Amino acid sequence: MTPSDDRARILEALRRAAPAAGHRAHPGTHPIPSLQGGWSAFSTRLASVGGCAHGPHPRAGLAAEITALARHRSARGRIVADRGAGELLGDGAWEELAADAAPHACRDVAVAIVRGEVGVAENAAVAVLSRSAAERALPFLCEHLILLLDEERVVPDLHSAFAELPPSALASSPCIWISGPSKTADIEQTLVYGAHGPLSCDVVCITNGR
Amino acid sequence: MTTALDRDAQRVLPDPARWSRHDAAVYDLRRRRDSAAADVPDWEALRSRAAAAKAHVLDHLEELLLLFEERATAAGAVVHWASDAAALRRCVTGILRECDARRVVKSKSMLTEECGLNPHLAACGIDVVDTDLGERIVQLGGEAPSHLIVPAIHRTRQEIGELFHRELGSPAGEVDPERLARHARRDLRARFLMADAAVTGVNFAVAQTGTLALVTNEGNADLGIALAPLHIACLGIEKLLARMEDLPVFLRLLARSATGQPISAYTSLINGPRPGGSLHVVLVDNGRSGLLADARHRRALACIRCGACLNTCPVYRRAGGHAYGPPLPGPIGAVLAPAQRPGAAGRELPLASSLCGSCSAVCPVGIDLHDQLLAWRRERPAAGAREAAGMRLAAAVLARPGAFRIAGRLARRLWPLLAARWPGNPASPWLRGRELPSHPGASFAERYARERRGRR
Repeated sequence: MTPSDDRARILEALRRAAPAAGHRAHPGTHPIPSLQGGWSAFSTRLASVGGCAHGPHPRAGLAAEITALARHRSARGRIVADRGAGELLGDGAWEELAADAAPHACRDVAVAIVRGEVGVAENAAVAVLSRSAAERALPFLCEHLILLLDEERVVPDLHSAFAELPPSALASSPCIWISGPSKTADIEQTLVYGAHGPLSCDVVCITNGR
Repeated sequence: MTTALDRDAQRVLPDPARWSRHDAAVYDLRRRRDSAAADVPDWEALRSRAAAAKAHVLDHLEELLLLFEERATAAGAVVHWASDAAALRRCVTGILRECDARRVVKSKSMLTEECGLNPHLAACGIDVVDTDLGERIVQLGGEAPSHLIVPAIHRTRQEIGELFHRELGSPAGEVDPERLARHARRDLRARFLMADAAVTGVNFAVAQTGTLALVTNEGNADLGIALAPLHIACLGIEKLLARMEDLPVFLRLLARSATGQPISAYTSLINGPRPGGSLHVVLVDNGRSGLLADARHRRALACIRCGACLNTCPVYRRAGGHAYGPPLPGPIGAVLAPAQRPGAAGRELPLASSLCGSCSAVCPVGIDLHDQLLAWRRERPAAGAREAAGMRLAAAVLARPGAFRIAGRLARRLWPLLAARWPGNPASPWLRGRELPSHPGASFAERYARERRGRR
């Protein structure tokens, strides 16, 4: 049987399986729940998923704060910033990834600094958009991850967070939601951080200029 | 009649320490689920929204699959169709051969487990490594996963320590979960960096945008996809969602129902291949369209594989996942088995249930699991002649008060004889694992009559 036969066969079977009458309609948009929002709710939740919240910090002096945090995580290791973080922080102890770098270029990164788009208070997830192959690998190959998040981009719930992202973000580049460090409980249900990806996850909140 | 379930459960039952540990570990997940659900004010509204969104998808599956194919292709994916397990195996092997990919890293996928992909790839000379820690443990041990979310929940740290010592060269006697996990991390990191291809399952696929959503706690799916130039995503056709706005509804339910987390550590939305790479999506039927045609049972296709029904099931908790046989354990495994496993083996599983309804109560997408189990029992083909005769006799006795009284008196008379013959009686699996209780010497009706006489 050729692959196109499989397609025809499945579609034919689905046509036969369709209900005779009354195709049920889409239920529409889920009403936004009234949950506690804001950075303080986010911080509490982040701690519960094994992450560490910092700030809010004003933009002035931010680079020095981030350098200190990165050096606290790794005294001498390689620090790499993604494009969004680099644009925000300017020059510092970090290197920026070349747009055409291979993903394997991130293999020995000790600390990655990555710009988050939106933060969700109900689950401490931060949306990260990657613009290149290396940026896609960076938050997973690094030993420690620092996410930068604007205070006004923290929303209460996941529905609002999806609505907050530009449609292009959900339709083109990969969008990764990160909630705390990599973890596993596969050995006797003992929680271990750093199963594959980063051992730690810091989220630094940035206030708008004040 | 001795069922496969009964036979396999017998291997677990003789070791009470093992099943009480399993029971406690699994029920702990249930408790975490409960407190996570209580934390969400719109939990029940979310469940019914999810059920309705899935009902819509299942009613419009053909149209939504075609839309998904169009949008995913526009985003740069190559979409394949596989009508059964053999077709999936052929398809994946064909893609890997075409790309000359020999080293494959896999992330957790119940679908590829269902389709027997790993043994097939190995037989084709392709090196395939499961990268989820629990899956890696069962792969190294040559076993099947025993739980949807925690594949090695049946193994102790000592057993895993010995396995890693033997297979990965970790120090002898190492039983610390953190150090064992580090050992696996080092071994797998090297494999991620060398991989030619990543094979993954898919948690949800959005028809509207052609997006794949992958959920992990370890980040293993992402490491595979980000590093290997080739990504093959195996997608059961029932995993579709109509719109992007449906995704947060399901994501809010999934991790809370599975482990009590508010969301898994990583949720990746993927549109098309990574820069410089290629993405193949294989849409797999393997019996799903057949189940869809069955009005009574199509709701089971709404399952999002969270494992909540396993964690709450008194049968699963005591018997363990291996007792169910492949591909899925627990109540959802028993509900899908008659459709997935033609023949007697699949038909037996719905019998292994207390019908307590706890599974239906926790299911995040509102599948009527215990009603489905009951329906499968009713649809079960006529049992053997001996069982049928026994049932006819029971029906005749229970329908006649006089016969019932005589039968009761007879049974009490014969009790010592029964008790002597009970242990290890091969006559019926009903007798194993159960003790014959002592009886009060008289029926309720006899005692009642006596008491009344005494009072007068």
